[in-house]
Amino acid sequence: MRGPDAAARVGRMIEVRELTKRYGGTAALDGLSFEVRPGTVTGFLGPNGSGKSTCMRVLLGLAAADSGAALVNGRRYRELERPLHEVGALLDASAGHGDRTARDHLRCLARTHGIGDRRVTGLLERVGLAGVARRRVGGFSLGMRQRLGIAAALLGDPGVLLLDEPVNGLDPDGIRWIRELMRTLAAEGRTVLVSSHLMGEMALTADRLVVVGRGRLIADTSVAELERRFRRGVLVRTPRGAELAAALAETGATVSAEDGGIAVHGSTAEEIGELAAARGIPLYEVATRSASLEEAYMELTAGSVAHRAEEVAR
Amino acid sequence: MIPLLSAEWLKLRSVRSTWLNAAAVVVLLALCGLWSFAVAGIWDGRPPAERAAMRAAPPEYPMSLALPLCTGVLGVLAITAEHATGMIRVSLAAVPRRGRLLAAKAGVVAAASLAAGLVAFTAAALLGRLIVGGRGVAEFHRPVGEEAPWIASLCLLVVVSALVGLGLGAVLRSTAGGVAAVTALLFVLPTLVTTVAPDPWNERIGRLLPTSLFAQLADRTGTMLDDPLPPAAAGALLVGYAAAALAAGALALARRDV
Repeated sequence: MRGPDAAARVGRMIEVRELTKRYGGTAALDGLSFEVRPGTVTGFLGPNGSGKSTCMRVLLGLAAADSGAALVNGRRYRELERPLHEVGALLDASAGHGDRTARDHLRCLARTHGIGDRRVTGLLERVGLAGVARRRVGGFSLGMRQRLGIAAALLGDPGVLLLDEPVNGLDPDGIRWIRELMRTLAAEGRTVLVSSHLMGEMALTADRLVVVGRGRLIADTSVAELERRFRRGVLVRTPRGAELAAALAETGATVSAEDGGIAVHGSTAEEIGELAAARGIPLYEVATRSASLEEAYMELTAGSVAHRAEEVAR
Repeated sequence: MIPLLSAEWLKLRSVRSTWLNAAAVVVLLALCGLWSFAVAGIWDGRPPAERAAMRAAPPEYPMSLALPLCTGVLGVLAITAEHATGMIRVSLAAVPRRGRLLAAKAGVVAAASLAAGLVAFTAAALLGRLIVGGRGVAEFHRPVGEEAPWIASLCLLVVVSALVGLGLGAVLRSTAGGVAAVTALLFVLPTLVTTVAPDPWNERIGRLLPTSLFAQLADRTGTMLDDPLPPAAAGALLVGYAAAALAAGALALARRDV
């Protein structure tokens, strides 16, 4: 029988609590806390230098935090008995000896966990590298290395995946491939944390977003929620603008004239439609406007960009 | 530990530098052959009356100079190549207990060096006998009872070199730094001590260096040392070099971020 505490814990595959790490005078992680649950792709977003990679390295036991806890399946990484079966990671695509063939690179890792060569061959096929399995990694393009890194991450069929900027260097085909792969992995019930500094990419892939800046949590939200939060009112076009504006003003909404229509704040498109229908006012266009996710991201992280142009210029 | 050893063995044999090292051993073996031919030539050129007094370096001499450096570099590369290529992060993600990773590397590097030493020194000694043939050069016709401990001591030296290389590589994290450190220990320090340190300090310090310890372990220092260490002490000290370097490497690997 599981206690209530254990039951609550099951859902938290990745737990980061009050994580702090300083390099010299700068804090790479500054009290960062968040959780990642299974079954979704969670985007780990932040400007360059915001602590994403450091956080992932701490999660993998590669770097030690000054304080706080980074847990995978409720345990510290170094305590995992057979880590490749629990966590798969893609950190730096170029990681690997250039002399080694793709197949040998994977076999070196597979052997540490007693994983057979058959699994290696199967994975090379899955990531589209079967044809170059016996070629040296040194001659691989960045995109091929990313695919090899993904194969390495999937080696132990882990429930948790940590992918650091996996779309870097991929061509459009590769990007679409990895997007679908991440969605498939999440749909299989796995926990997928994907870091990126590009909001546009995450908007297409992720369901949830953990946004960090200067080592701190800025937002832990869903993509839909973020879009709602950055809504910019409703634009309405109608031949009887003044009439509708007056009616809307009565309901407490703010109305202002804007290029060829009226901009409404404080009222949803549905409410405006209902109101217009009740008054018999024809509507040509009702458009909910929201800041693009890109803008939302820029706004969120505006205060936390580590290397700003003007700072560099000084 | 078996899976880790198997993984490290595959790592070692799937990179070119290992095979370049092996090729270097073959070249050294050829040098040993050349040296044997030279000795045979000198013997033949001497009047028979002077032949009995002829002294020569043994056939494995070129190998004994250079093989410790080869295995030292092998040890250095076993860890620094991982740092240089970023492989270390992948490796430690698979084996988070860092001491175990270093232990597996030490096991594989030591075994490979021991095998290389046994094969190379035995082959060099046999090659020498074959080439010199019936000529009575003493160093080419040592009885097995003398030859075996000598080769065993040389093998210990190459294994210790490999492990010192591995340990120093783990501390320095740089191939250039590691190779320089191993070269300094094997070649530069002995020469420096002999030429720079005043008597009797040249011998007191010199006999503590690995390249001198192996001869003291085999109890065959000849005229090199006035006051050699007992073989057991020399052997313990030689092993101590490897232990100290590995301990320092393990500490550095455990303490630092990668």
